[in-house]
Amino acid sequence: MRLAFVLQLGGRLVRLFAAAPLAPAVVAAFYREWYDASGFLVTAAATGTLGIILERTGSRGVHDSDRLRRLEGMTIVAMTWLVVAHLAAIPYVWAGLGPVDALFESMSGLTTTGATIFTDFGAFGRGIFFWRALTHWLGGLGVIALFVAVLPRLAIAGRELFFAEAAGPIDEKLTPQLRHTALALWRLYAGVTAIEVLALVAAGMPLFDAICNSMATLAAGGFSPHGASIAGYNSATIDWIITVFMFVAGANFALQYRVVRGSRVALVQDEELRAYVGIVVGATLVLIVFLMRDGMAVPDAARHGAFQVVSIITTTGFASVDFELWSAQAKMVLFFLMFIGGCAGSAGGGIKVVRHVLMARLTVRELRRTIHPRAVLPVKLGGRPVPEDTLRDVQVFVLFYLLTAAVGTAIVTALGADLMTGITASLACLGNIGPGFGEIGPMGSFAALHPLSKIVLTLQMWIGRLEVLTVLVLFRLEPWRQARWSSR
Amino acid sequence: MRIIIVGGGEIGFGLAQALAESHQVFVIDQAADVADRFAQLDVQFLLGSGTSDDVLARAGIADADVVVACTGLDEVNIVACALAKQLGQPRTFCFVSRDDFLADAAQEHHRLTSFGIDRVIWPEAQLAADISRIVHAPGALDAEEFADGKIRLLEYQLHPQSPVAGKRIADLHLPHGSLIVAVRRGDTFFIPRGDSHLTAGDRVVVMGLPGALGDVRGRLLGDITTSRQRITIVGGGDVGLQVAERLDAAGQVDLTIIERDVARGELIAGRLRRALVLNGDGTDLELLEAEGIGRSDVLVSVIDNDERNLLASLLGRQLGVPRIITRVSRRANLRLFERVGIDIAISARAAAVASLHHQIEGVSVRLLAVIEQGAGRILELEVPSGYAPRSLRELAPPLNSIVGAIIRGDGAIVPRGTDRIAPGDRLLVFTTHAAADRVRDYFTHVSN
Repeated sequence: MRLAFVLQLGGRLVRLFAAAPLAPAVVAAFYREWYDASGFLVTAAATGTLGIILERTGSRGVHDSDRLRRLEGMTIVAMTWLVVAHLAAIPYVWAGLGPVDALFESMSGLTTTGATIFTDFGAFGRGIFFWRALTHWLGGLGVIALFVAVLPRLAIAGRELFFAEAAGPIDEKLTPQLRHTALALWRLYAGVTAIEVLALVAAGMPLFDAICNSMATLAAGGFSPHGASIAGYNSATIDWIITVFMFVAGANFALQYRVVRGSRVALVQDEELRAYVGIVVGATLVLIVFLMRDGMAVPDAARHGAFQVVSIITTTGFASVDFELWSAQAKMVLFFLMFIGGCAGSAGGGIKVVRHVLMARLTVRELRRTIHPRAVLPVKLGGRPVPEDTLRDVQVFVLFYLLTAAVGTAIVTALGADLMTGITASLACLGNIGPGFGEIGPMGSFAALHPLSKIVLTLQMWIGRLEVLTVLVLFRLEPWRQARWSSR
Repeated sequence: MRIIIVGGGEIGFGLAQALAESHQVFVIDQAADVADRFAQLDVQFLLGSGTSDDVLARAGIADADVVVACTGLDEVNIVACALAKQLGQPRTFCFVSRDDFLADAAQEHHRLTSFGIDRVIWPEAQLAADISRIVHAPGALDAEEFADGKIRLLEYQLHPQSPVAGKRIADLHLPHGSLIVAVRRGDTFFIPRGDSHLTAGDRVVVMGLPGALGDVRGRLLGDITTSRQRITIVGGGDVGLQVAERLDAAGQVDLTIIERDVARGELIAGRLRRALVLNGDGTDLELLEAEGIGRSDVLVSVIDNDERNLLASLLGRQLGVPRIITRVSRRANLRLFERVGIDIAISARAAAVASLHHQIEGVSVRLLAVIEQGAGRILELEVPSGYAPRSLRELAPPLNSIVGAIIRGDGAIVPRGTDRIAPGDRLLVFTTHAAADRVRDYFTHVSN
């Protein structure tokens, strides 16, 4: 690993991020929240300065012939996310939060988790709420993917970065040029967000809320400017609109791009999408049954059942009702969905549907191998055999993911939370879902947790968003022992 | 006719043997040791490459009527045909063995024309199609389809417990739309009449409409098992993979493929949806026993080696597989295999040679199929305009031939004596090898 190279590229990415806080500064100024606006300007200045310093420092040790290696790409992505999360926390500190809480909120925003430590929503201005939604929106499809799309110069180094950040086990390019792929995805993403804003405004939501909620929906985030999440708008129409768009956010964007381009067949053929639809429909039906048994009327059970199922499986984390008050049976359905996650290449987090599909087939393969020891049994996806190293990556991922969740649970519970809170806090942060059960339920907050728990959960969000291995590899000593300042 | 055969392998030899009597045949091959084999035939052997102007010129390409390219290399065959078309105006027949670009149905016409090829012959594909048709007809020894599947032909062997053994054909009361067109008893092959008797061990060839033939099997064999067939394919080469792909796509079978090569096995497993691919040797008794191959309904052995094929087939027989289909590469082995207990021995090359021979010889009458290794033939004749319609009974076709079906417009009839034939009808005539020429002459004569 060449540290100069890592610093230079990472610094450039940080510097580029300096433009982001300018948008909430404008919003804050528009609502005459001058103090908050100044906070965003400070953030922009700090981000820009730090980025330039890092880039300058690094560029002295970089040679023109240097090519990015895989490990360096992973380091840059992981470190950039960590640094950016710290910088994005500045506005929250400015608005009066403690540093641990601010970092938690900032990481929760960027990683599209949507877990909040806010308790009193009235204490914050609109600029802050817009910032929360914007961090979601930028983090949803990937900050680096955005930069790759916008900056041609990044494209060569961007390959490693892009795939280190992308969600899912299978690298997929829509066009031969990575930059066009990134651009196409961002256009689609922005377009669908705009459509949702229009739909929500038409359904009677105020424009500001519609923008914030739409950005949070498409990113599969979960921050809402309303203290009671989507339940606060108390409208069946709004619930159904958001259900649909959450569902879209949890599906593979590359697939959606192809559908928009006229390839309808891809939609039916995609096995992950079929599994995704199947799980959503199945879980919704089961949940409706439990909700009706608990005395809910059919239209309400359908509305809230579908909303919560889609919200949890896509790892959005919105709530159309306080599901903390539901029976254990109904909550069980949501708990189960916390392990699934969205599709690969979507804004959703978690283990991802395609990995579950492959894990199920791996299990069947092992069973068949017991019966036929000499059989040749490829695991297929979409009719094509999946390479064995991809399968190994999937198994390792699932194992590490579950272990990380277990460790998180242990720490949060050990530091004083009750067991259900501990389990769901760990799962909700690692899977970038947001709310859990118990005191961190949809109407609750992470504020009361032990500060150390908050730090652990912040790390879990980071690890979960970057798909575990990208981050965990940096905890090995080897890359650092081999690290040199420069290649010469 | 002047006929040039490029490639002196099994196909080239078979073809030269069949054509040498009545035509001038030139055989081109690069291997000198092949020459000895052709010395016993009345043909001209040229040592050299079929893709060389010079060698083709020495074979008199300018006046050649037919060029058959049948070396083992597809590319050589294609180039030989293209070159022959440039140097003269022969009809060109090109053998291929892989499903690369010539076998692409959608592009076929255009590509063939641009390469100067009149007909592509792909023996392995033909063999795979034959095998999968036979497999799909439970209990049958042979199965063919004509007129886009409107007419089928099936061959069964009567076992000693068969309910029809010892009965007169007229007393069988086979379903309407089906007809027994031939019987093979020992080494004799004949076309039966209503008063012929059937005996156990006879091989009976039935022609008919698909619907009617459904009942015939139960009538002849006395058993009706309709459960899913378990099929084992030994050897995952070109033929094995193609058979597997056909059966896999059709579904309703449990398919197991045994392939020795690991990489090839992975490729096969990747191409098939439901089949089970085993990595191992088809002649490995331990593997066959462990996997319960003996419980298969059919074993298809299509390794590209006659000895190993025979061994795998005999092991299958020992384990109790009731129906065994084996590929035979050397024509000389065909009879031998059946004698040692293989139910169905088929050779891609023998079928290709017979079909090609006929295409070169007879232009007016189409040969649709050969049955029982050439003993029986199915010809297609068109009744010309100006022909006075008459019933079949008034027709007195030569001995050992029978009109098996009449194709009229979009429909097909399996005729009885009272059915009439009229201009525009196409007749499927079943005949023995010996009578084929007489049948051709007779129907041409009647037509006039």
